[in-house]
Amino acid sequence: MRLPDRVTGLSLVGLGAAAAYGGWLLPPVPGQPVGPNVFPLVIGTGLALCGLAIAFGIGHSFEEEEELIPVEGDQPKQAPTGRFYGLRALLPPALLLFYVGVADRLGFIITAALIVFVTSTALGARWKLSLPLAVLAPIGVHLIFSKLLRVPLPAGLLPMPW
Amino acid sequence: MLKTLIDAFALISTWEVIIAMFAASVYGLVIGSLPGLSATMATALLVPVTFYLSPIAAIATIVAASTMAIFSGDIPGALLRIPGTPASAAYADEAYAMTRKGEAELALGAGVWFSAVGGIAGTLSLMILAPPLAEIALSFSTFEYFWLALLGLMCATLVARSSPVKAIAGMFLGLLVSCIGIENPGGVPRFTFGITDLFGGIEPIPALVGVFAVAQVMRAMLTPEPPPIPKRKFGSIMAGQWMLTKKYHWQMTRGNIIGIIIGVLPGAGADMAAWVSYAMSKRFSKEPEKFGTGHVEGLVEAGASNNASIASGWVPSLLFGIPGDTIAAIAIGVLYMKGLNPGPTLFTEKASSMYAIYLMFIIANILMIPLGIVMIRLASYVLRAPRSSIMPVIMLCCAVGSFAIGNNMFGVVTVATFGIIGYVMEENGYPVAAMVLGIVMGTMIEQSFVTSLIKSDGSILPFVERPIAAILAAMAIGALIWPLLVWVWRKIRGTAPPAASAR
Repeated sequence: MRLPDRVTGLSLVGLGAAAAYGGWLLPPVPGQPVGPNVFPLVIGTGLALCGLAIAFGIGHSFEEEEELIPVEGDQPKQAPTGRFYGLRALLPPALLLFYVGVADRLGFIITAALIVFVTSTALGARWKLSLPLAVLAPIGVHLIFSKLLRVPLPAGLLPMPW
Repeated sequence: MLKTLIDAFALISTWEVIIAMFAASVYGLVIGSLPGLSATMATALLVPVTFYLSPIAAIATIVAASTMAIFSGDIPGALLRIPGTPASAAYADEAYAMTRKGEAELALGAGVWFSAVGGIAGTLSLMILAPPLAEIALSFSTFEYFWLALLGLMCATLVARSSPVKAIAGMFLGLLVSCIGIENPGGVPRFTFGITDLFGGIEPIPALVGVFAVAQVMRAMLTPEPPPIPKRKFGSIMAGQWMLTKKYHWQMTRGNIIGIIIGVLPGAGADMAAWVSYAMSKRFSKEPEKFGTGHVEGLVEAGASNNASIASGWVPSLLFGIPGDTIAAIAIGVLYMKGLNPGPTLFTEKASSMYAIYLMFIIANILMIPLGIVMIRLASYVLRAPRSSIMPVIMLCCAVGSFAIGNNMFGVVTVATFGIIGYVMEENGYPVAAMVLGIVMGTMIEQSFVTSLIKSDGSILPFVERPIAAILAAMAIGALIWPLLVWVWRKIRGTAPPAASAR
């Protein structure tokens, strides 16, 4: 997901301009010169200026390339690369949104088990590890948060006996 | 004084506090030692738990977990050359070189011992510096607060190890996020797009968890698993530490002082302290040629420095509500939640709670020595846990923790969104810490800015009329235009930049 500076810079310019414009539209407080519109105006303008500077490469020379740490002994396997490989990074937020969508219906335990199983498998675990983990981790988390800390986790299809 | 101290002892000698502190210590040690899971993330995931504890126990968990996590980041740094937390990155190479020379015990022992010493020195500075500063802070008006908050944000952008322009952009992004909601001078819904959940604004804690924890899981999806740690037997860990203390007492003191100064600066924290101290140690060493080949001197100074900054970072947090670093930002959130609103009056009205915080810092740093030794001995087992078993649990904690903050699902959506934002920002070299501080301090900056503008009736002069305000203003503006000046300077000179100084 490494984008050229020009792209990120220009999108910041757009965002800043939109924020400044949005601030401009806000109704002022009657009888006062400054209200809720001032701050977004300032921030938006600043953001747009920063975006311009980034797009034109000002200050780029400060960036230090991240040092790669070589590993002793056998090098780790080269990560497989495919066209959709980069999309794997979106899995965690997608799973969280999945939780938001179905936790109330399925209940915490089942949803959590699915999340654990998928995450663990995606990170390369065999089913011998990911299956027991998918059973135990949700129960453990449920015990701590629901029983000890009294967070109202959704019971759904599989309520816990405590 | 004595009575307050006794009160403070009474506050912390309850079972709840003791158990909370011990559990948080173990938790901090484990999370800090796992590569990729930082001290900030450990503390952020702890916040939902603190909701259900008494105020002192809640702060105890934050203090203990952050102190321990900063130390235990040294462990994988020394054994695997992968720093557990960014604060250990400065000297991970050095510590690893020592391990290869067969001096792993000395390196890790120095980590424990000088971290503890540094932590205690930082606590002493907190005790000594905070009350007199509180006296001065009582006379601060919104002008001073505005400049101080701005200075804090500027420091946060200066210390970022990337382009300052990108850091400032990150800060503006954070401030923009803080604009969302109806908590603004006019009380009108701002940038809510008609979504009711956005009326309350974006909570800093779910944003933090997203940026630090979810983004880390996202990165793990694309990076290969770190190599397993080789099994090794450790000899005595504390042997030779007293000798080191005597030999390098000057370096240790200098590390403590640098750590304290950097911690007190709003916006700069442990990572910065470790880098600066390591560089200083090398610069002033009698034998700089040994650095990088497994020489303990830099470890002593940087280890003493980063833990000192953790405690002294609480000075601006407690006095002004301006965080010294991201961990302090979380601590401020917890303080507000528990009715200990940061401000100079905290030191007069809630003096016993303040002393309780000092005591907890000292206890946590003493506790770090035995627990740290146990952790080092167990490290070969803990670090063997595969990533595919830790990350799923982190995911669950993100989901449940962010839900628990407001008992509503919108928190989980926030976490997921900020996971993506944090991931994209890091990938493109925008430091997320600057954005986080922007989110945390946005409301305060806006309030002091708009109130000051109303008071001054649109004139700029009152902003710099009072002496302290003028000094703070000069510092903040200097920090803002510094990158531009350096850029222009380099263009005129047309020379290659000198190797990033003091880093």
